[in-house]
Amino acid sequence: MDIESNQDRPDLSLLVASSAHDMKNSVSMLSGTLENLLAEASDKMAPAYQQMVHMLYETRRLNNNLIQLLALYKDVGSPSYPFDPETLPIAEFVDEVAARNHIVFDSRGIVFDADFPDNLIWCFDEDLIVGVIGHALNNAIRYTRDKIRLSIAPVEEFLELRVEDNGDGYPQAMLGRAAAVRAGVDFTTGSTGLGLYFSSEVAKMHKHRGRHGSVWLENGGPLGGGCFVLRLP
Amino acid sequence: MSVKGDGAMEKNQDWVGKRYLLVDDFSIIRTLLRDMLRNLGVRSADQAGNGADAVAMLAKNKYDVVLCDYNLGAGRTGQQVLEEARLRDLIGPACIWLMISAEKSVESVMGAAEHQPDGYLIKPITEGLLLTRLNRVWSKKKVFREIEMAYEAKDYLKAARLCDAKLDTDKVYALDLMRMKASLLLKCGEPEQARAVYETILAERDYGWAKTGLAKMRLQNGEVETAKRLLQEVISDNANFLDAYDQLALAHQQLGEFGEAEQVLASAAKLSPNSVLRQKNLGTLALKLGNINVAEKAFAKSVEVGEHSILRTPDAYLGLARVYGQKSEVKQALQVLGAVQKAFDNEEVRLRAKITEGLVYHESGDFKKARISGEEMGKLLAGSSVKPDIATSLDMARLLFAVGVKDAPVDLLRDLVKNNHDNEELAAEVRQIFDNARMGEQGADLVNASRKEASGMMNHGVMLWKGGKLPEAVAWMRDASTALPMNVRILFNFAHILISVMQQQGGDSTATAKEDLDLEGMAAETREVLLRADRIAPNHQRFAQLMELLAELSPAPGVEAPA
Repeated sequence: MDIESNQDRPDLSLLVASSAHDMKNSVSMLSGTLENLLAEASDKMAPAYQQMVHMLYETRRLNNNLIQLLALYKDVGSPSYPFDPETLPIAEFVDEVAARNHIVFDSRGIVFDADFPDNLIWCFDEDLIVGVIGHALNNAIRYTRDKIRLSIAPVEEFLELRVEDNGDGYPQAMLGRAAAVRAGVDFTTGSTGLGLYFSSEVAKMHKHRGRHGSVWLENGGPLGGGCFVLRLP
Repeated sequence: MSVKGDGAMEKNQDWVGKRYLLVDDFSIIRTLLRDMLRNLGVRSADQAGNGADAVAMLAKNKYDVVLCDYNLGAGRTGQQVLEEARLRDLIGPACIWLMISAEKSVESVMGAAEHQPDGYLIKPITEGLLLTRLNRVWSKKKVFREIEMAYEAKDYLKAARLCDAKLDTDKVYALDLMRMKASLLLKCGEPEQARAVYETILAERDYGWAKTGLAKMRLQNGEVETAKRLLQEVISDNANFLDAYDQLALAHQQLGEFGEAEQVLASAAKLSPNSVLRQKNLGTLALKLGNINVAEKAFAKSVEVGEHSILRTPDAYLGLARVYGQKSEVKQALQVLGAVQKAFDNEEVRLRAKITEGLVYHESGDFKKARISGEEMGKLLAGSSVKPDIATSLDMARLLFAVGVKDAPVDLLRDLVKNNHDNEELAAEVRQIFDNARMGEQGADLVNASRKEASGMMNHGVMLWKGGKLPEAVAWMRDASTALPMNVRILFNFAHILISVMQQQGGDSTATAKEDLDLEGMAAETREVLLRADRIAPNHQRFAQLMELLAELSPAPGVEAPA
């Protein structure tokens, strides 16, 4: 192999990737600063506070989208996302998800609640799955009335993670496993499409003994609204 | 279990009284972090704006928590600061190190770097997230605390037993405990037991690190093809698992597939271009294969990224000098040799630079100057107290013979054989070197006489000990270990005799008063002898066993009892 080939040649994909990284860093800074400002704000009823909450929501959506794009980018070429499944206590994972989202929940008056067995551990790429669940929570925040529930349990040798809300549920056409795959192909659906496509790619990256993960949407469940389901082997 | 809202905030480990160091090249970020910590009630948070400042502050103060950005602009990276802090003992195992980065890097993948931080935080960082991660690391540190302390005291058998005990009580960390146990068993010279642990883990799931661990055992055991297959599986499952590349390159080399080995190392170096050692290894192999351009690039890169790294190695400089030598660019080679002696100011490097200088002259056809280098090296050797390792010594001897120097290499090889009297492979290699120098007969005699002398020395000490003449045995072995300071068997036997003397003293209270032995001094001497043996031949079964016996007699200095 000649390691000198393919080097030192500027190419567009690398430029795109590095600009996306750069944008992500800026947006990260913005969202971090906003979140800290919100945490310190005294008057939670002031219109400025509510506007900032909305700004935070949008910056985080933008940030998540950029992260998703960058993670998916590995299909196109280098630089690749370093996929790194590690075993971790589910309790710690839930703490992480809660810590990343509690400001948005609190400021919108949403009651968040998580349910999982004690001492459960599982093996997955935490950063990617935090991204997938973060995306599902973001969607739930948009559609819920006032409750969101994250429930995690082992089901048929898979780890099943469910994000449920008490809103009106998803449209019929988006339900089921096949729809989740279709959404990825149809980019015209916009951000929902990217999020679902990203989630389904991430699920597929997780493999164990010939089985891989999957995602789909359901309606109903304990809260009666929409439900995002992720299964990991 | 059910968590309402911000579950992490409810746990209240005392983070307020801890001492923090914040490392980032942007003052805005440092202020942001400091404000977050202040909101949590923290009073003491120092700041450093670059790697050099961070290292200086770590050397001066003791920190409980370090929050360090991976990318620190010019100079050291966050990873290099961590490596330096660990290798220079600036931080103990209790210190919590969180690495902050803008995105996930290959270096953060398990098995990429030997010195991993306690966790990675990907931006944006918020107060809640910081607290969650601190709590997470804390609960793990609590479980591993006693194990880490036994490890620091090099009592590996005790550490492995502690892992077993924790496996019963802390099931959430079962996998981490088993991983730790397997690596401890390796350090104890118990590869079979370590292998059993890896196999238990792999029955659950194909973890890349466990498979790589298993492959390492197979490799050591000579099952090279099996090891190769396992490692290829690991890489095809996760192309970022760098540790597997390193091992796979070794497997290829053992099979004589040097071209493949070079390819594997090249791929690994491409994935993590800033690894000093990987670039050096690639350079070494490429040089061996005669791929001068690849070797030059890799060595130069290793030197470059090593500039701020504690892991920088003279091998990269010396390799680069060899490359210039083969390109007949003698002037440049000599420049590099000057640089290496400036960068590493010690006797061993001076010796090795001198060998390389001889090789460079020799390969460029300047035999007169090569001969002068050889003679200068002979003088350096005669007045030197350093004992170069086996490979370096053999290289030196070959070169000295090649340039026509006779006495110095004979003395060097005699010393080498005496210090490794039970190493058959080495004996054969030494005979070969003499053969090549057309001194075969003299070589065979020298090898036989040296081995006999060393084993006679050792056996006499053991005989004295078996005959109950303990003070005489100790005195004899002390002399033997001074005469042959690199002889691992003599060192282990000496330590063993010292320990048995201490055991007798401890059990017999009437004798202590009469003989008035300095038990503390003996324990310190034993420790020194064992640590020396461990440096020469790591992962030895006898090291682990003797360290444990010693720890039972007298606890290691500087190690606090667990709270």
